[in-house]
Amino acid sequence: MFGPMPSRRSVLFSALTGSLALACSVIPDGLAKAAEAAGEPLWFGVSGPLTGPSAQYGAQWKKGFDLALDQINAAGGVKGRPLRYVFEDSQNDPRQSIAIAQKFVADPKILIELGDFSSPASMAASPIYQRAGLVQFGFTNSHPDFTKGGDFIWSNSISQAEEQPNVADFAVTSLKLKRLAVLHLNTDWGRTSKDIFVKAAKERGAEVVATEGYLPDEKDFRSTLVRVREANPDGIVLISYYADGAAIARQLKPVGLTQPVVAVGSVYSPKFLELGGEAVNGVHTRANFFPAEPRPEVQGFVAAYRAKYQEEPDAFSAYAYDAVLVAQRVIEVGGTDRTAIRDAFPRVKDIPSVIFGKATFDPETRRVSGVRNVKLVVKDGAFVLWDGSVPAATN
Amino acid sequence: MLPTTLGPWLDYTINGLVIGNIYALLAVGLALIFGVSHLINFAHGSVYMVGAYIGWLCVTKLNLPLPITFIAVAAGCGLLGAVIERVGLRPLRNAPRIAPLLATIGLSVVLDQSAQLLFSPDPRALPTQLPTWRIAIGGGSIGALDLLIAAVGIGSAGLLYGFLRFTKLGWAVRATALDRDAAQQCGVDVDKVNRTVFAIASALGGVSGLLVGMYYNTIDPNMGFQAGLKGIVAQLIGGVGNVPGAIAGSLLLGLIESYGIALFGTSYRNLFAFVALILILVLRPNGLFARARRLPPEPLTGTFIAPSRPLVLPKWAVWTLAAAALALPLVVQQPYLLQTLGNAWLYALLALSLTLVAGTVGQVSLGHAGLLAIGAYASSLLALDAGVPVLLAVPLAGLVAAALGTALVYPAFRLRGHYVSIATLAVGEIVTLVILNWESLTRGPIGVTGIPPLSVAGKPLVSGQWVYWVPLAVLLAFAALQSRLLNSHLGRTLRAIREDDVAARSYGVDLNRYKGLAFAVAGFVAGVGGALMAHFYSYINHETFPAPVSMLALTMVILGGLGNVAGAVLGAAVLVGLPELFRAAAEYRMLIYGVVLLLLIRFRPQGLLGTV
Repeated sequence: MFGPMPSRRSVLFSALTGSLALACSVIPDGLAKAAEAAGEPLWFGVSGPLTGPSAQYGAQWKKGFDLALDQINAAGGVKGRPLRYVFEDSQNDPRQSIAIAQKFVADPKILIELGDFSSPASMAASPIYQRAGLVQFGFTNSHPDFTKGGDFIWSNSISQAEEQPNVADFAVTSLKLKRLAVLHLNTDWGRTSKDIFVKAAKERGAEVVATEGYLPDEKDFRSTLVRVREANPDGIVLISYYADGAAIARQLKPVGLTQPVVAVGSVYSPKFLELGGEAVNGVHTRANFFPAEPRPEVQGFVAAYRAKYQEEPDAFSAYAYDAVLVAQRVIEVGGTDRTAIRDAFPRVKDIPSVIFGKATFDPETRRVSGVRNVKLVVKDGAFVLWDGSVPAATN
Repeated sequence: MLPTTLGPWLDYTINGLVIGNIYALLAVGLALIFGVSHLINFAHGSVYMVGAYIGWLCVTKLNLPLPITFIAVAAGCGLLGAVIERVGLRPLRNAPRIAPLLATIGLSVVLDQSAQLLFSPDPRALPTQLPTWRIAIGGGSIGALDLLIAAVGIGSAGLLYGFLRFTKLGWAVRATALDRDAAQQCGVDVDKVNRTVFAIASALGGVSGLLVGMYYNTIDPNMGFQAGLKGIVAQLIGGVGNVPGAIAGSLLLGLIESYGIALFGTSYRNLFAFVALILILVLRPNGLFARARRLPPEPLTGTFIAPSRPLVLPKWAVWTLAAAALALPLVVQQPYLLQTLGNAWLYALLALSLTLVAGTVGQVSLGHAGLLAIGAYASSLLALDAGVPVLLAVPLAGLVAAALGTALVYPAFRLRGHYVSIATLAVGEIVTLVILNWESLTRGPIGVTGIPPLSVAGKPLVSGQWVYWVPLAVLLAFAALQSRLLNSHLGRTLRAIREDDVAARSYGVDLNRYKGLAFAVAGFVAGVGGALMAHFYSYINHETFPAPVSMLALTMVILGGLGNVAGAVLGAAVLVGLPELFRAAAEYRMLIYGVVLLLLIRFRPQGLLGTV
């Protein structure tokens, strides 16, 4: 459970103010606490990696889900019924994710499905969810074609068309970098992001002097970075997750690179600081949330996360947390009918969200826009708000 | 002028040596084990991971000084190596040689999963306590850890060389490597030799994990697989079982990768490594640093797959089973069960294909997922870009996979035993990397979306019954065909090649033609399987058929009994079904799977239905 509860005062909430109850309960020192949810639980299914090479992300998801459910169920659940989930391990493997999809669509208690992690695993299962009429809510699926799978396929994953111009803004407009070298994960996500970033950077007057795509399990970047060095950039852009981002940062100095680094928001993780050590000091990132942000959604998430797990949250647990908040709202509006839940997506407005502030779905794209972001820089082994200083040119 | 043109090349050279240095740590241990046991130890990468975690415990939890940490890691992993030899491998010494190989795969699953459960799948930092000074070379620099890694690699290779040349136990090790039975007769305690070798190699593997973990400041439970793969490649370049050669091979691999990046970019790195491996295997199969170009007397042919009496199902039983399988959806309408079995039938196609080349012809392929990928891409692209109807695209994809697969493996036809396995492993990796990089054709990492489902007369076959019936029908047809093939003169010829290729050749069998024929049939079957998967999945990219799928296929084939058609189907059903059965165990299910696999190998090394 999260934190000591100073107030035992119990307030009755009507179904209409259910979302207000959530907004209050996510404030850790909230004055109000609704009655614990009781009765027949409502279920959502999760298809994601618990074992195999991507298991670390599934583990972060679980933390986000559990935290959100603690809060939701303590505040009366969904119309007084507790919300729960079934997590099926897919190992991020399409063969298993389609079997899980069949399992979920045939199980009448599952009202909505969340996941899977990567595009191959998620999009292989999409036709099954679409045909059976169960919403597949992919909350890490940024593949531009993901929601094109049908009208039951929704996502609140950050659209790269929106995210990358922000990163380009930070690098080109704020940090005044004009010759950029881009290192990106050579996956569908990394590749899409890179293409959008390069376009956005050029529009802002910068030149992209090198792009290097690397495989997710790569650990050695020295020769890649020599290539980057030879292109003579004045700034380096990382389209990476936290583990590979940290590995790249650590190998910059050994090949003689001292240029400023800008990374996308997915490096935002305490693990980035832990794995990168001193080498990540000075890395700039445009994160989608920041613990010191005063927004109630962020404070409710971060403080409760710290209290429950004694560690700092990362981007992946925030995505998972947000996904549950969405599930709660659409079930609340749509009830226990799967089609009604789909129809609820365009109707729910301003869902509290760590990443978006308030999330509202666009019925055309079946996605959310309006991602929040803050400009951060790593200083003395911690993420701090960027103070507007431009790093001295080193070349 | 010189500094600007030569400058980066000096850096690329140094970087190649730095990473080669790291590969060498693993390659030396693998070479030692291979030299004695003729075993590619897939568990070595996991021992390396365990070493990293023991080191992490010592450094961050117990705050031990570095030398003590080293001793603890070496002792812990040495002990683990001895236990692996005693519990995992010694009981299999009289089993077919393929059984220990599979056992090491099972052991690696168990070790990786245990680490994941104990330490969580999150990567962790492993800080180094070494001084932070750096020496500037070229445009970059190297640090104390680089030098320490080089010292450990070269030092251990030197010590091992001395040990094997000049000590009595070393002689015993070499005698055992040459001829186990003769050594035993001369009074060598063969078990002790094996135990010692595993302990030494594992201690070294553990120390490597510690060093590499410190180098990247990252350890995670899955770090072993990729590292082990590179170690295997490196020791093959140097010549299997050749300890000093392993060091040279590792440095060379590092250089090849580094120059590959320099010339073509980062995403071509592994492509270079695997193409170089194939070239070396084909041109100098004994490794670059062997005196003779000829392979040493190959102990693997014939004995690689032990004959056993297969369990032959009577005809009526086969017909009854097939009819029952076909009728199942009429009785059971659970989509999850049908989908799982449908998956099993699709994987059975892959197993059927592999059991033909690995079992019947004795060419154990570790890159079979590549055929799935070729079939999947061929069929999807034919349907989407060329407008070919799906029903026609699937068999065409089979033909493409047959042609391309055979052409790619063709250079490996002259290889035998383990060399074939490694060459096919490289071919599998090459297929994935070409798919990733040939963007104009394959759409690169974005993948192929919107693949149309299989449809007949405009009606898509997508419902629960069809995902079961279509793969089953195709499977039954191919299984029947393959059984007939094996009972014909062709089957006998193929088995003759497996049993003794010299004898087969002297009876006038053209080895290349028959191997080509077998690979073509296998490529067709697997290609059709991959094509069907693509049309069921609707989306594929280069990560849809990764290397572990090839391992899974081999496991299915060995579990069912090599060369055994019914065994391949049974193996696929068991290995697709088991992880689903253990679903309730959530995080524990892969651990249970690994243990079950080990028990099956232990008590039924010739496979459930026996080799044919």
